[in-house]
Amino acid sequence: MNIRNLPPPDLTRTSFLIIEDFESMRAILRDILSRAGAKQVALAFNAANAINMLERQRYDVILCDLHLGHGKNGQDILEEARHRALLAPHAVWLMVSSEKASEMVTGTVESRPDDYLIKPITETLLFARLGRQMAKKQLLAPIEIAMREREYLKALRLAEAQIDNSRGQTPLTWELKRLKAELAMQSGEHDMAKTIYEEALSYRELPWARLGLAKIHYNENRFNDARRELKEITDGNRAYLEAHDWLARTLDKLGDQEGAQEVLQRALTTSPRAPLRQLQLGDIAQRRGEFDTAAFALKNSIELARNTPLKTSQAYVALSQVQLAQNDTDAALKTLSTLSIDMHDNAGARLLAEAMQIPVRIKTGERELAEKLARQLGPALKKEAQHLQPEALFNLAGPLLELGETETAGALMSSVIGNNHEHPEYLQRAQAIFTEAGLEDEGREVVQGAARAATDIMNRGVKLSREGKLEEAIKLTREARAKMPNNTRLLLNHAYLLIAWMERHGREAKLNEEARNCIEMARKLKPEEKRTGELLNRLELLGNDFSFSA
Amino acid sequence: MPADNEKLDISTFLLSSVHDMKNSLGMIASYLEDALAEPGPTDTPAHQKTAQALYEAQRVNDHLIQLLALYKIDQTFYPFDPQDQPLADLVREAFARTQPLADSKKISLDFKCPEELYAWIDYELVFGVIVQALHNALHYANSKALLSIAARESGIVICVEDDGPGYPDFLLEQGNGVRRGISFGTGSTGLGLYFAGVVARLHKAGQNSGRIYLENGGSLGGGRFVMELP
Repeated sequence: MNIRNLPPPDLTRTSFLIIEDFESMRAILRDILSRAGAKQVALAFNAANAINMLERQRYDVILCDLHLGHGKNGQDILEEARHRALLAPHAVWLMVSSEKASEMVTGTVESRPDDYLIKPITETLLFARLGRQMAKKQLLAPIEIAMREREYLKALRLAEAQIDNSRGQTPLTWELKRLKAELAMQSGEHDMAKTIYEEALSYRELPWARLGLAKIHYNENRFNDARRELKEITDGNRAYLEAHDWLARTLDKLGDQEGAQEVLQRALTTSPRAPLRQLQLGDIAQRRGEFDTAAFALKNSIELARNTPLKTSQAYVALSQVQLAQNDTDAALKTLSTLSIDMHDNAGARLLAEAMQIPVRIKTGERELAEKLARQLGPALKKEAQHLQPEALFNLAGPLLELGETETAGALMSSVIGNNHEHPEYLQRAQAIFTEAGLEDEGREVVQGAARAATDIMNRGVKLSREGKLEEAIKLTREARAKMPNNTRLLLNHAYLLIAWMERHGREAKLNEEARNCIEMARKLKPEEKRTGELLNRLELLGNDFSFSA
Repeated sequence: MPADNEKLDISTFLLSSVHDMKNSLGMIASYLEDALAEPGPTDTPAHQKTAQALYEAQRVNDHLIQLLALYKIDQTFYPFDPQDQPLADLVREAFARTQPLADSKKISLDFKCPEELYAWIDYELVFGVIVQALHNALHYANSKALLSIAARESGIVICVEDDGPGYPDFLLEQGNGVRRGISFGTGSTGLGLYFAGVVARLHKAGQNSGRIYLENGGSLGGGRFVMELP
């Protein structure tokens, strides 16, 4: 059969946003679109400009250059737009690039654009891709809406229906299957995801499918298997960045920090503009005592994450600790003052920016200043401790003990243990801090006491629930949650009780929201926990009329 | 002379310059295509020269794309990413890229591909090979060139043929793996063929990998470039 050109799509009612830093390229794209009748074409020339426009209007199609000179690139804009829900469910995002880049083979459904266009952009190229992607997004919009509502089961069911409908071998079939596998992972349906990944691998050596298998191994604590799959992707090719990140994480779990550091450094030579990867490298290098490497990576991380949603106080606190270890107290203080400026709208970050000066002041010999800070900040630290990052609290506890602030130090450690009572390494680390300060017995009291209290609450909750006293159990775990807001087990137990109650007495919006918040917090703390997906499913099934079979 | 600590890796400059040149060439090609599409007589010397300029610009562009991809493959960071792709769209896009040049040279360019044919390919690499082969065919064709993609028992076969004089012996040998490397006598760098070979071999299914070969004859009687992918 002879191939002829497709007629140009009718774009008279489609709204476009072109994000492109080169004026002549903007003009070329706009001209092509106007030839198909496009009347609503908005232009943005940099990231800030683009975000601004995306905030004000929901465009049907976004044509975005991947490389936009200095500052944020197209990938950053896409992720921010998705993160802040600035895109319509049917919106098509086409990323324009001058070559195939490693950004194009990584990421999950949240971070992938709908398609990539490699320059030069011709009319045929643009129209063919636009036509295909716009049709696809119309089909996928209901799935997208379900995902935004975090109804992953519903999204999964819709994806399955689409796969059944599309029958034949179309590219959409595989896109749907890949999406289905990702949704299955969200819902804790590992076997369903595994089937899809294995089917894909039976056709071709596909990095995304093998990465999917590796993630399942990782989530089910088979780190050696995860390492084997991941090495198969990364050996001989450093373009698959996400696989490198997972390999580093896996090696870290296996106790091979040196290997993890090497893998991260390798990925960073391919793509250095990745704040989270830089943070991961900084963390591992710091633990290995390679302070120069750690400082460099953490500085990069801070620079790259500034003005993005990826900004965290963790990088600043870690950098100040590394600089302290390097005896560069001026730099450490400067880092902390940068933290208080960069994250001035975050009370916890501001508190840490002040509190982390305590160890620095001790080192500079300004003991009185350190004592004053510890005294002044004590009440706030005790009050906020359960929300602060454990790493910072561990680093504060020793200096506080040294200054005689035993009570504050005890409260901080008790908080850390309360949130992490099932992690023996946290218990050991806290105990070691007290032992080093010559307070072994006091330490034991704090550490064992906090761990016992947490275990006790879990047991009582389970007992009450077994006895059918759901209300009492809920009351207990709700109170405990206020004290241990970052305890994954507690969060999931509390969510479980709320769901069980609603399954018996009917759905209640307020309880539903409470359960959802617990589950989402738990997922943030421990993304690999399978129980999270399972509870999310049960929550979703409450009051829904569709049934689900695995 | 820069001090030692200021010495920069030359490949950094090469890479960024290649990008820069590629962008400029893309623009030049797009302007030349616009110029060729202007209404008016097409047999003027100006028109012919514009067509020739377009061919040269596209040839350089093809080479830069290939060099970039080969560099990345060599340095093990090419993001090879096979996906189940509709080949009719691939053909349409190749058509769009080469049609203006074919029109200006008054060569009838034909494309054959089943509308519902799909294959697991790295789109950008295979597209690069096809466009390069078409540019080559348009250069040597007398009046006709043809791109055809068809299904085989396992995989697909892509053919680009023309009604020109056919490949000279040394190229046939090079294309069929008898001889490799740069032929200084003819000025051919062999880049295009080498690139096509690398791309074909990257495509694997189980124990099978892709291959390329050249032959003379074919349905149009001239040169015939073939790429088989599993």
